[in-house]
Amino acid sequence: MGSSQAKPLSARLKSWPMWMFMTIVTVCLLAVGAGRESGPLTQQERIDVITKRLACPTCDGESVFVSQASAAVNIKNEVARQVASGQRNDEQIVAYIEERFGGRVLLVPRATGFDSLVWVLPVSVLVCSVAGLAAAFRRWRREQGLVPSDDDRAMVARLLAEEPEDHDEVPW
Amino acid sequence: MNDRENLAVVNVASVARSRRSSLIAAAVGVVVALFFVVLVVSSPEDRETAASPLLGNPAPVVKSTTLDNAQFDLSRRRGSWVMFNFFNSTCVPCRQEHPELVAFHEAQTSVATPTELYSIINDDSDNAVRAFFDANNGDWPKVRDDDGSIAVAFGVAKVPETWIIDPNGFVRMRFIGAVTKDLLTEKVTELQAAFEGM
Repeated sequence: MGSSQAKPLSARLKSWPMWMFMTIVTVCLLAVGAGRESGPLTQQERIDVITKRLACPTCDGESVFVSQASAAVNIKNEVARQVASGQRNDEQIVAYIEERFGGRVLLVPRATGFDSLVWVLPVSVLVCSVAGLAAAFRRWRREQGLVPSDDDRAMVARLLAEEPEDHDEVPW
Repeated sequence: MNDRENLAVVNVASVARSRRSSLIAAAVGVVVALFFVVLVVSSPEDRETAASPLLGNPAPVVKSTTLDNAQFDLSRRRGSWVMFNFFNSTCVPCRQEHPELVAFHEAQTSVATPTELYSIINDDSDNAVRAFFDANNGDWPKVRDDDGSIAVAFGVAKVPETWIIDPNGFVRMRFIGAVTKDLLTEKVTELQAAFEGM
């Protein structure tokens, strides 16, 4: 028994090989799921997919797919016509509608040009915030000690040199 | 240095840093306030005409029928100045601008280069449009757009909208909202002068 006794499940789960194994399995499953071919779509499915990507130009936050507004119905008809003609793929049909009505007709902003700021800015703000917090925490931890850094000494020396009054006595 | 002196140095340094942080915060606050002021002070572009990627480009293909069941093909109107007015008989701005369109159309009979006016029927029934024109005048062709393809081709989401197409079939001007006879006359005159100078 003794050393040969198996570890309990909770202990095994906490070990790093188990975490590594779970991470690899998760990544593999995600990769398989993302790359899986779902097969060809019917014309109606294509129309639905495209119109779900387009915003009704006269409504607030509704897609062309759900809206019954005149402009949305017109766009839905146009998408149906273009899908039926088979001359354009989904991206080209979306681009055609965007060219006519402008970028406001896209429910999901493009990841290129000025629109890419929608994707880039939140990530940048998050990264900067985390970095700023990390720096602040490190500084606060350092300041908890009573040993000043060389920077602290230099700064205080400079400030003291600027003080015209007597500064021998520290009031606090 | 003893602990008391170290503490004093650390405190002085942290006070100096907090002053620097305050300055940075104040600078950020000023920038945000400036953005806010710009947003409040700036007014939306007060233009009579509107932008469109079609401007300066060949007009989309427009083939349909009129309320009189005549064939309409925009490409066969080459050589004429063409004006499209996207219209719905229940739309209040459309009804309000209608007398201006009637006046503009009547004035075109006496100019050297008349502009052909067409109403593009947007999401409306033949009978409703006929009844409206019977009651309010307007002797120009009314083009059906039953499937909305003309509206989508021009990127028209709301009516009224008015478009001007030159004799070469290029889109020259777009007006979103109600127009007046004077505005249309002024812009058409400008466009025709520029076109003849080309």
